[in-house]
Formats: sequence, C-alpha cells, structure tokens
Amino acid sequence: MKKNGFGGRSLIGLCFLFLYLPIFLLIIFSFNAGDSSAVWRGFSLKWYGELFQNRLVLDSLATTLLVSLLATAISTVAGTFAAIGIYSLSKKLRDPVLVVNDIPMMNADIVTGVSLLLLFVAFFNGWGSIAKWLNSWQSLIEFPTRLTLGMGTLLIAHVSFNIPYVILNVAPRLRQMDRNLMEAAQDLGCTWFQAFYKVMIPEIKPGIVSGALIAFTMSVDDFVISYFTAGSATQTLSMTIYGMTKKRVTPVVNAVSTLMFLAVLIVLVINNIRSNKQAQLAAKRASLQPVRENPRVERFREWMGTPRGKLARRVTATVLAVAFVATTVFLTAFTTSQPVVNVCSWGEYIDEDLIDEFEEQTGIRVNYQTTDSNETLYSLLKSGGADYDVVVPSDYMISQLIEEGMLEELDYSKIPNFEKIGERFRNLPYDPENRYTVPYTWGTVGMIYNSSMVDEELTSWSALYDDRYAGQVLLIGNSRDAFGMALKYLGYSLNTTDPAEITEAYELIADAASRGVFQGKVMDEIFQTMEGGNAAIAFYYAGDYLTMLENNEDLKFVVPEEGSNWFVDAMCVLKDAPHYDEAMEWINFIASTESNLRNMDYIWYASPNEEALEMYPEWYEEQYGEELDMDIYNIMAAPQEVLDRCEMYVCLPKSVRTLYNDLWIKLGI
Amino acid sequence: MKNKRSLFAVPYIIWMALFVVIPIVIMLVYSLSVAGDGEDLSASLENYTGMVLYASVFGRSFWLAFIATVICLLIGYPVAYMMSREGPGFQRVAMALIMLPMWMNFLLRTYSWMAILENNGLLNQLFQKLGIIALYNRLTGSDIQYFQMIRTPGAVVLGMVYNYLPFMILPIYTVLTKLDAKLIEAAEDLGANSAQVFARVTLPLSLSGIISGVTMVFVPSVSTFAISRLLGGGTQMMLGDLIENQFLGGAYNPHLGAAISMVMMVIVVVCMVIMRHFGDGDEEAMML
Repeated sequence: MKKNGFGGRSLIGLCFLFLYLPIFLLIIFSFNAGDSSAVWRGFSLKWYGELFQNRLVLDSLATTLLVSLLATAISTVAGTFAAIGIYSLSKKLRDPVLVVNDIPMMNADIVTGVSLLLLFVAFFNGWGSIAKWLNSWQSLIEFPTRLTLGMGTLLIAHVSFNIPYVILNVAPRLRQMDRNLMEAAQDLGCTWFQAFYKVMIPEIKPGIVSGALIAFTMSVDDFVISYFTAGSATQTLSMTIYGMTKKRVTPVVNAVSTLMFLAVLIVLVINNIRSNKQAQLAAKRASLQPVRENPRVERFREWMGTPRGKLARRVTATVLAVAFVATTVFLTAFTTSQPVVNVCSWGEYIDEDLIDEFEEQTGIRVNYQTTDSNETLYSLLKSGGADYDVVVPSDYMISQLIEEGMLEELDYSKIPNFEKIGERFRNLPYDPENRYTVPYTWGTVGMIYNSSMVDEELTSWSALYDDRYAGQVLLIGNSRDAFGMALKYLGYSLNTTDPAEITEAYELIADAASRGVFQGKVMDEIFQTMEGGNAAIAFYYAGDYLTMLENNEDLKFVVPEEGSNWFVDAMCVLKDAPHYDEAMEWINFIASTESNLRNMDYIWYASPNEEALEMYPEWYEEQYGEELDMDIYNIMAAPQEVLDRCEMYVCLPKSVRTLYNDLWIKLGI
Repeated sequence: MKNKRSLFAVPYIIWMALFVVIPIVIMLVYSLSVAGDGEDLSASLENYTGMVLYASVFGRSFWLAFIATVICLLIGYPVAYMMSREGPGFQRVAMALIMLPMWMNFLLRTYSWMAILENNGLLNQLFQKLGIIALYNRLTGSDIQYFQMIRTPGAVVLGMVYNYLPFMILPIYTVLTKLDAKLIEAAEDLGANSAQVFARVTLPLSLSGIISGVTMVFVPSVSTFAISRLLGGGTQMMLGDLIENQFLGGAYNPHLGAAISMVMMVIVVVCMVIMRHFGDGDEEAMML
C-alpha cells in the first residue's frame, strides 16, 4: 500500500496537537506556584506535596480506583461467561439479547444514570418494609431498614455499563474460534471444564484482555453515570473535580491527574518498546510464514507464551491481587471500626485542618462531603441520595426543610458553644424558636466590579442592566438571586409573591439579555472569570469576593444602595440521623470561638460567634504580624447600617417557586 | 454440551432485566405521572404536553450535536485513513496516543479549554501579541479588545469535538485496518484511479465504522451537560442541563426529567435506526 506523504503525517500531527494542547497546559499548571489555572506565578512542586494531605482528593481517588478495579474484575468475568452463553443461544434468542445488550452503549449516559437512579430510589422506598419483615421473621441477620445511594449502587452501575463492552470484545473471538476445538479436546479425554480452561479461554483471551482494558478506562473516565448513582456520600475523582470546576480547581487535581497520566504513559511506553522488539522477531519469522493475522494480537499472544511473558503475567496478577485485597481490607477496616459523623457542606467552606483536629480530639471520623447549592442538596435528600447527619443549608432552604419535616431538633444541652452565637443570629425567621439550627456563617450579596474596566464608582444595581457594560456583565446562575436583585432594583421585596412584580423583574433581565448586556450566567465559575479580568461586573457573596481579591487587586465590592440579600448558613441535623450524638459533638466543635476564628480566616465568611467576630482583627495581627485592613473586615462582616437595607430570603410558596422556574427556563433559552 | 453453555447467558439476562429494562420501565412510569399529594403518583400526560416550552432546547441540542458530529467526521475520517496507511509501529503509537487522553479526566481537559478561550485567555493574548486583533480592528473599523470565544455556541461545539473525536477515529480506524488490501489492488488492476478506489471501494467498506463513530459522537454530544456548562457559560442550555436540573438541580421535578429523557431517547433511537438502514453498524468497531 502507498505510504503517506508529508501532508498526511502533518494532518495526524495537527490532530494530536489539538488533542494534547489542553493536556500540556494542565500538566504545566500543576507546577504553578499560584493557585490559579490561568495565571502563571512561577515554578513550584508544592501541589504535589499538598496532594498527600488533601483528603478530599485522596479519598475520591481511592474510591475511583476501588470501584473501577472491582467493576472491571466483576464485569470481565461476568461478561466473558455471558458472551459464551449468548453465542451458544439459538439465533432467534440471541438477537433480542444482543439488542438489549446494546442499550447501555447506545443510550446517552445521562439516560442510563437517571434510569438507574430511579430504580434505586424505587427500590429503597420499598426496602424499608421488606427489611422489617425480614427482621421480624428471623434474628440471625439484622437488615438495615434504610438504604442510600453509595458504593454499592455505584458499583452496580459501573458493572452494568462495563459488561456490554466486555461482551463486544469477547464475542468476535468466539465467532472466529473453531467450534470443533472444544469437542476435539473433550474427545481426547478432557473434562468439559478442562477443555474450557485449556482451549477456549486461551483462544478468546485477547478479547478478554482488551475488554477488561476498555472497561477499566471507561470506569475511570466515567462521570455522568457515577454522578447520578453514587449519591454524594461517595465521590469519585470525576465528581470531586466537577464540584471544583464550579469554584476553583485546585492544582492538586492537576497534580494527581498528571501522576495518573504519567503512570499510564510509562506503562504504554514500556509495552511499546517490548512489542517493538517482538515485532522485529516476528517480522523475521513472518518472512517464512505468509499467513498473517492481526500483528498486534499475534505478537501479544507470542509474548504471553514466552517464559518472560508468563512470569510477567504471574507477577502482574499477583501484585494486582495483593494490592486489590489490601486496599479492600484497609478501606473496610478503616470505615467500619470508628464512630463516624457524615457532614455535608459547600466547597471550600472550611479550614480542613479543623477536621483533622476534631478527629484527633474525639476519635470520631468525619466523612466530609460537599454539594454545590441548596437546591442540589434538597434534591439529594429528596431522592434518598444522601445519608448525612449534619448539613449546612442557607436560611430559606432551612425553613423549607423544617416545613417538610426533614430536620431533627437539636439537643442544645450538648452544644454549650451555642451561647457564644450572637443574639442577632438567633431566632431568625427561618427557625423562629431556634430549635433546629446553629449558625455557621453569615454575609451579604453585593456587586463585584473590576475598577480597571469600570471608570466610575458603582453604587446602584442599575449597572447590571446598563448598555455601557454590554457583554461585560455576568448574571448569577440561580433564579432566586438573579430575580431577587432585579426585584431589589425595582424597589420590591426579595420575597414578594406578587406575580406581576416577579414578571416585571423577569422582563428587566430579559430586556437586558436581548440587548446583549450579559456575557453569561455563572455560579462559582465567577472566580476564574472575574480574577482573570474576563468580565467587568458581577454579583456574588462577600466572602467569595475577598477570596477573589487575593488574586486580583482591581476588584471592588459594594452592597448597592437599593439594598440586597443577607444570608445565614446554619448547621442542622437531618431527621433520623444515624449518628446523632457525634453530630452534636461536631456542631459544638465548629461553634467554638477557635474554630470560628480559623474558619473565618480561611474562607472569609463572617462568623456568627460574637466573640470570634470581635477578636478577629486582633487575632489576625497576631497570626500575620500585620494589621487587618478594616475595609476588608467591614465587607466580610457588614456593619449594621448595611444590613439594615438588606433582606433575608424566606421560603417561597410552591406556586411562586414554579413561576420562578418557568421564567428562568424562558430566560435561559 | 451446547445447552450447558447457553446456561451461562441466564444470569446476565436476569441482570439486564433488572438493571437495563426495569429502570427504563420505571422511567416511563415516572414520565407518565406527576407528584400527587404526599408520596402518591397520579397518572398524567402533563409532562409531555408541557414540553413545547423546551422545544428550543431540543433544537439547540440536536443542532449543536449535529455540527459537532459532522466536524468530527471531517477531521476523524482523514486522520483514521492516514493512520491506517502507516507502518505497524507508527499505528501502535498513534493508537496509544488517541486512547491516552482518556486518562486525563475529561472535566479537567474541558476546564483547561476555559483558560485557553477566555476573553483574557491564552488564545486572545496570542492574538493580541501577533497583532491579529489590531489588524481585525483596522479592517473592519471596529474596536474590540478580544474575540468573544467562550460562552458561545462555537465553544460548546469545540468542547464536543475535542472530547469525542477519539470515538470517531477509533472505529473508523479499526474498520480501515481490517480492510482487505487485495480488494484495493483488484480495483486498481481493473483500472480504477485512486479517487475511484476511495469512492467505490474504501468508503463503502468503511461505512460501518463511520456509523459507529457517528453514534458514539452524536449520542454523548446531544446529552452533555458538563461541556455546555463549562464552555457555554450557562447561556447554551442543552438537554443534558435540563435533565440534570430536574433530578439534582434547582428545578427538582423527576417526572419532567424522566419525560425529557424518554423523548430524547426515542429521537436518538429513531436517528440511529435510520442511520443503520444505510449500512450495517459494526459492533466490532469498539475493540482495541
């Protein structure tokens, strides 16, 4: 056949450049001294050091590897047997089975994920009574009455989407195989099992190997199906990264991915060098042997047959088995022996050292998870996707949870630190008698603008809808805040239930959108966008503004004169929480002055602990040897005159929530 | 003996019934009902009739996915073709290089494009340095600081092409390498020129690879939600976003989500059946 000229090769080269350009960038930025994925601050290895201390990343890496290995092992064995079985079926039976086998591959991942989620939820709903019946009938095994999404469902999902790939890879080998071989072996005195093991397996082995490889790769790379079936107490690396892309991807993730990437690269390179040698040998032999099948397979099989290949195979198998067993034993031992508390909060919303300290002090292991919004948290709780003890929702969501009977009352006698919570943060409208909550942070929403791109000093929300800043404004990506600020600008209440007022707010935004004022809708992507000077105006939480300020000094913050929203995020315990006492200890620990000081310093959200709030400037000076800029302090902890023009969200009635949703969808289109 | 072996299929058939068929049935039931009082469901067609509201989301999703698929095919086919004509060593390396990016998390790769495409991103900085933006301004008389690339439909298509291109190259390449070289020689011997050989022999014989590739690019593209969120900046709402929003997002309405999923599934299946009509879809294409 003709070989490619220069043109062909450069086409392949360009294609690879396209595929690898972003990957090179990711690798380069894993060595960045700063924490941005866009601004280079010099070379450093610090993220590789931090990798070994970042529990979120390490835990999710362990989950990913464990699930992928288990799912690959199970689906390879199951898929191989299934393929053998399917190809022994009569054609009439085989065809429909193959069609169903195709479904998980043809279906969009999201459909597979969603349908499995619905199956699990339906099963969990029915399980309670089955378990009770089983428990009443025998006392040998105590079945749990409440099941949630987690490792088990994640594994089932992965096995489900992996098996078809294994079957697809094994099937052609079975078809190529001479059917008489098995019979011949048996005629020669093999038992069926011997014939199976010595004849069939070696014959279809390349198919099994490539099936397992594809299954493993798919499992590691999967995001969508895991996202819907893992709940959120179990997180794979993809899910952790997805959570981070909303806020800021810490370069720790770049570091871990770079390491994984290099590991696979090295395996491939070694494999390639070896098969090149084999190829030269084979080429010599091939000159005598005109019949040629797929050279890769042939070479692979030949190599497997050599003593070195056999040895390598055994060593690899042993190492994998040992590593696998060790990980499983370690993980199970680690997870079952200790008292636990499951906490769910927001991304980058705690000084992670506090978790370690709490664990050391109390011996209670903290299973710390994050979700990205109140709405996501609500959906997770509703769909049985979570088995948290402590959650940290915002005010309006708390009242909704209370209303729907989803929260447990707290035992304040076990939370002595509640005393230090300021009067103004108690008995707020969302929890009027303060029976369910201990405040975690509070703050305001305000306008953030880049003073190098905006010449004037902004004081009014009008800038958000102003033609002068066309293409420069970022709208917030949730309906409540987006409509809320528009309502404020129009002089209405944030909590209005009047459809006319809400529609007016919608029209204000829709009109600005049609004039091209908005560059996009963002949630936590705002960090990267505003820090990089990619948009001039946005509105967001004061605490997050201060984090942005660390990376871009041109950014300014203002709570506009028309007023805004102020919010409280508070710790609550879910109804029937399995670890109630541990939850009380955790809440008490977090409510302490010391914890509040350190959290405030780390996340820049104001503390409801008055002692900590007052002490902070002094504490800051002690820690850093310089005075705290009081402007910054006042942005973090807005003074009373600012709070006076702000309103807190209350939970809207269902009809109004539906209106919000409909208008929001209309806007998004 | 034959019967004994076919017994191996039984556990898997049960598994498929449990985890493939029943979930879809449940989804169908969900889509045909709405949440009534308390825990009860009440039958209703509301989810389907109300879907007109989302027609433009359907339109956008299918249109962007279609463009991405066409681009993938236009890039992927020549690359696969060139690769299949190289020596075995080159082919092996190239194959490995195409699979390798999958080991770098796809969300991270997409996130990396954000840094490239931002208004102040690497590409715009490059354009500025090269004077392309100044040139553009002089030619058109406009006054722009940057090209708006991120948060546009183009960025979403780019993200799809980038993420799914390997799925187009792999099946086409696999089919092309299995192509019997003798057929091409025969065609040449019978007087066909290279264009004719390609059009009358190579292309028709690689159709099954193309169909697999198109499926494997189109289906994930039409249902993506991460790509449109990261690169579309929330302005390019797609079906995936809509569904995700009904299950794990602010709009929480699994019934509507199930209905949208069903409709999407049916449309995709119909597209695929029509496509397969043109050629025999090759399942072997997804082999290493």
